[in-house]
Amino acid sequence: MSATAKPADKGGSPTALPPSTRAHAARRATSPVSGEASPPPFALVAAERGTRRLTAVSLEAARLGLYRGQKATDAFALVPELATAEAEPEADAQALLALVDWCVRFSPAVAADPPDGLYLDITGVDHLWGGEAELVSDIRARLSAAGIFARLALADTPAAAWGLARYGRDGAIAAPGAQGEALADLPPAALKLDFETAAQIERLGFRRLSQLFALPRGPFAKRFGQTTLMRIDQALGRTGEALAFRRPPTPWIARLAFAEPISTPEDLARVAFDAAARLCARLEEAGKGARRFELFFHRLDGKSPSVAAGLALPGRDADRIARLLAPKIETVDPGFGIEVVTIAAYEVETLSGRQVKLEGAAQPSVEDGLSPLIDRLVNRLGEDRVWRAAPVESHVPELSITRAAPLAPAGAAWTWDPEAPRPVRLFRRPEPLEAVIALTPDDPPNQFRWRGRLHRVRRAEGPERIGEEWWKRAIEDVSVGHVRDYYRVEDAEGARFWVFRAGLYDAGEPAKWWLHGVFG
Amino acid sequence: MSDFRGTALAALRTEIAALEAAGRGRAGVLPFGDPAIDGRLPGGGLPLGCWHELCGAGLETEAGAAPAAFAALMAAPLAARGEAVWVFRRDDLFAPGLTGLGFPAERLIQVCARDEAEALAVMEDALSAVGVAAVIGEVEAVDLTAGRRLQLACERRGGAGFLIHRRPFGGAARRATAGSAAATRWRVASAPSAPPANEFGLGAPRFEVELERCRGGRTGAFLIEAGAAYSWEARHGPHPLRLVADLGDRHLAPAESDRRAA
Repeated sequence: MSATAKPADKGGSPTALPPSTRAHAARRATSPVSGEASPPPFALVAAERGTRRLTAVSLEAARLGLYRGQKATDAFALVPELATAEAEPEADAQALLALVDWCVRFSPAVAADPPDGLYLDITGVDHLWGGEAELVSDIRARLSAAGIFARLALADTPAAAWGLARYGRDGAIAAPGAQGEALADLPPAALKLDFETAAQIERLGFRRLSQLFALPRGPFAKRFGQTTLMRIDQALGRTGEALAFRRPPTPWIARLAFAEPISTPEDLARVAFDAAARLCARLEEAGKGARRFELFFHRLDGKSPSVAAGLALPGRDADRIARLLAPKIETVDPGFGIEVVTIAAYEVETLSGRQVKLEGAAQPSVEDGLSPLIDRLVNRLGEDRVWRAAPVESHVPELSITRAAPLAPAGAAWTWDPEAPRPVRLFRRPEPLEAVIALTPDDPPNQFRWRGRLHRVRRAEGPERIGEEWWKRAIEDVSVGHVRDYYRVEDAEGARFWVFRAGLYDAGEPAKWWLHGVFG
Repeated sequence: MSDFRGTALAALRTEIAALEAAGRGRAGVLPFGDPAIDGRLPGGGLPLGCWHELCGAGLETEAGAAPAAFAALMAAPLAARGEAVWVFRRDDLFAPGLTGLGFPAERLIQVCARDEAEALAVMEDALSAVGVAAVIGEVEAVDLTAGRRLQLACERRGGAGFLIHRRPFGGAARRATAGSAAATRWRVASAPSAPPANEFGLGAPRFEVELERCRGGRTGAFLIEAGAAYSWEARHGPHPLRLVADLGDRHLAPAESDRRAA
């Protein structure tokens, strides 16, 4: 069964909610095969607080009067020939997620509604199919081709779509702003209320939602709870409903469908450019640029592998985006062929057109030189492998530095103090020194062994005492012993090292020496 | 007479330089500011639009600290003109240390490559980008093909490449390849510092630098000091490196005799 949804942008009310759809993936492995003359009644069973109950029933079983939540023993007494199987909720959830991923072909914003539904935000995409009705019929045709029995509905708000899909006419499309009329004849349970609340409302004689809509709000909230009122508001679009989209929703999407499935790498690269050009034309019209582009290849077998490329600065140059995507497209497995390609842009920002400089490029602009280079590097190596070191206000050497995005604007005016000598190479873990001869408590080592070589210290400078950042820790973890006394030492050959003694001087214990960096 | 000889030599040199450049315009030079070094380099300074090799000595082949510090000091005047990119495979470069030497670390983009080939590819890519003035890379070895590609990338925008030979930790040393497309090759080792008399501690960092190979110039050996290191003036001088002594004779002579003996 499945779903619903309708674009908010047509409804006139800008606060109206994104449309949604609900789909239920029937389990194909266990569902009755549709060629047989009369399939036996079938149900899924799960143990619930020590009682085995039906969790799903087939059409045939439902016709025989079985229902969800019935005790399995009762069901067997009524229908002895009932075929059952164990319910597998995890597998159901996985199947639903797979279906959510597949639905990206219709719109990038898809939210799962466990256990058996999904919402599809079709704001701004229905025109790609020629209208809402065409979109719904296309979804239905493709789902049934995949053997999935679904109920669909389309409305301005997710809550209204939910109710229509489960309690209304299958395939219902509520006119923009008219979800109130569409929902009027449905039972209160269509508001997605919990079982007790819905039963109580029905017990009081409210059998249709139109009766509820007419009640005064104050007494209503007192009698049935704030949640019920909120569901009504969400259904009618008076208040928003947060959906957990599998991917960030974006209205910036372009789609290319092919008459014949394509699969050669050259074709894939070409359609990547075509799709990007289509999207970039829209971005340019709106004066926008995006930082991230994701390209989905929808294969014949329902899978949709994707590749993504990021830009350091927002852009809309289709050629450049296609070139960034090209090396990744080579890794895409086209399977039996790809019938649809969609490209989505994320992190869309306003991007004004650039003016070409008249005077010679003494200082080339960031857009010309650095930004394409950073994009190439980040997309080839990964985001965590390209950075610019940024200072952090901390006196602990390994904490005094952080990685900033390569094109991030220089932030604080504060920088490292050049008068405090710091090594060019700092080891992530200080390396232990052996055979250290040093006069304690305060003298630098006279000699030490590091990596199997003995170094005789000729000159030394220090100590520079560096303590822990005690104000960032719990009081019981803090100790005056957590200090390091750093020395800059130079051996007879001239090699300069940064060594430290850990902890305070303790006559009973030999001092621990470490090498933290090399000056060169 | 001697004047005529000088003019003729200069004319011949220009002709040879034009032949070597194969029609490409020269990207200029970066003078050290001391005739003892600049006189040995073609054009009177570190040539731009080509790449330079730096090797360490002894332990330095692993840690590579002295070549890294020296490369940063050589590239510091370039980094003030445009962006600098540092490519490595081991992420142990410490930006505050570069700042202390006078290198503008805030203009440095660091790239951590996954393998040798990728590091070279990133260097090549960065060298041919607009707005990048210096690219410093740490790789184990570079063969002739890769070196030639680097050279072509350098010529595209006139950027300078600095390639630090660095052995991976624990790995066996690879045999250095015979030929190289680099314009110069420097062997850098730390040298004992000499603080002023009656002063405690260390003096300004010193390096014993051997110019082992120099296209269109002469080799030499120098004792060089980063005079303004670890002070606020570090990045305001004309060139952060200062020649302390020309070791040319002392170092090259025994090397020559050794080779003859072998």
